[in-house]
Amino acid sequence: MRANVWSGRNEVSVETVPDPTILNDRDAIVKISSTAICGSDLHLYDGYVPTMKRGDILGHEFMGEVVEKGKGVGNLEVGDRVVVPFPIACGNCWSCKQGLFSVCENSNPNSGMAEKMFGHSTAGIFGYSHLTGGYAGGQAEYARVPFADVGPIKVEEDFTDEQVLFLSDIFPTGWFGADLCDIEGGETIAVFGAGPVGQFAIASAILMGAERVIAIDQYDYRLQMALNKAGATDVIDFSRDADIVEQLKELTGGRGPDAVIDAVGMEAAHGHGAVHAIERAKQASRSETDRGHALRDAILACRAGGIVSVIGVYGGLMDKFPTGAFMNKGLQLRTGQAHVQKYLKPLYEHIRNGDIDPSFVVTHRLDLDQASNAYETFKHKQDECVKVVLKP
Amino acid sequence: MPFPPRPVDSTLHGVVDYMAGATLTTVFPRLVGVEGTRSARQIRTAGAIHATYSTMTDYPLGIAKLIPFKAHLALDAIGAIALGATPFVTGQYKEGRRQWVPHVALAAFELMSLAITDPTGDGDYHGDVEAVRQANQEDPHRKIHEGPPAVKATNGSAPEAVEAAPASA
Repeated sequence: MRANVWSGRNEVSVETVPDPTILNDRDAIVKISSTAICGSDLHLYDGYVPTMKRGDILGHEFMGEVVEKGKGVGNLEVGDRVVVPFPIACGNCWSCKQGLFSVCENSNPNSGMAEKMFGHSTAGIFGYSHLTGGYAGGQAEYARVPFADVGPIKVEEDFTDEQVLFLSDIFPTGWFGADLCDIEGGETIAVFGAGPVGQFAIASAILMGAERVIAIDQYDYRLQMALNKAGATDVIDFSRDADIVEQLKELTGGRGPDAVIDAVGMEAAHGHGAVHAIERAKQASRSETDRGHALRDAILACRAGGIVSVIGVYGGLMDKFPTGAFMNKGLQLRTGQAHVQKYLKPLYEHIRNGDIDPSFVVTHRLDLDQASNAYETFKHKQDECVKVVLKP
Repeated sequence: MPFPPRPVDSTLHGVVDYMAGATLTTVFPRLVGVEGTRSARQIRTAGAIHATYSTMTDYPLGIAKLIPFKAHLALDAIGAIALGATPFVTGQYKEGRRQWVPHVALAAFELMSLAITDPTGDGDYHGDVEAVRQANQEDPHRKIHEGPPAVKATNGSAPEAVEAAPASA
């Protein structure tokens, strides 16, 4: 089959690789109809996530048709159309029983490696380094889906792929970020990053009843999408004024947002002057893995007693974490990879009810063979790129 | 990948600018053994000028953002040539190798750095955006700027979204 593989830092290529096969009774093989490039794939592409190997198949957002299944997969039939969640979860361990699917205790065969890095292992993830299991990803014609009796959700034929594809990651991730903010109605929420996850965090906060949602980014076209499509009520373009904390205070009568969502993660692009120069140099020399501008500003901007929700991906260590502001303002820091399986059905219902059309975020639909150009275009924000869907 | 490769984007160029400025104005003259001579003054002046116009450059690490990035690169080239030529214009090259080698080495470093800097500021971009435009089955501009909101607001502050219309697959 054809698959998009990691070929080194800033290099991917579509190559012919062996077809996947059933390895376990609870596996299924999915023929992929649509797959997407995630912002977190760029952390792999940029070389900031350790344990990648040349030839690793990328991609953790995909859907398609079940073409083969193991004996233990009783809930799916060959021919079913399914969306596959990015975290691989067994459904049986203590974490899964608590609904904490992204920290499944059984799905990461390289758990020892992850324990050294994080203290505990996280779940396996498709196409996301050997630290998360070394599973082949979904930017390919076929994928093996472990624990297929737990993860995939069947979807009806009358939706386009792009209306349901993002149930695999970015819609639940954005929803999870908003869910962590305890929105009851009337709150002001700030969202750092108007990329695909940020767009869904904004949309989710609106769906949950937030009064104001402030989108923060440096690309005008992304802020326009936040305003026109996702429902943001205000925007901050930090390419014009880099003092985000002050602008958020001005927009909120000096108090600050009730909650702030960091949908940026380890490669924050804002920050200026000497601090950003030092951070870039430290990250380039691998003496820190995570640039922390967004998280620092989120903590400084959030109102006292508020919530900072972190759904942007961080991989290791960052410097200058503002412990003083965090502690003295009595903030709550809530984080995680989204427990996608927990949100699949309710979010699918939102789509069915017409509360949201997730396809709004797709700006590029390309053949899989264009993966290399697509990664470059997405990374460098060319051609008003927000979200790329690849068709195998 | 273009040839010669130009992997340095405007941010990394800025990192080098500030590091070079800081080094030249402080320890560099002592490290190369010219402390107390006019060579030291020339190198410190070059470092200070470099750091100053870096703060005024329109790139991610600039503060005032008054000077376009391409103009900054032109200033780099002029500065490198001027610094490299200074010992020969003043005649101080006759006072020994230490009075001209650092100048020439710094000029060479600067010119080499310029050669691998992408003047667009995009750095290591090596995609074919035109091929992407041709192959794209979507219209990004339309998706972003036209049509109704994609979300049905529950707080009454945003306009009503249209139903997510099921479409033929």
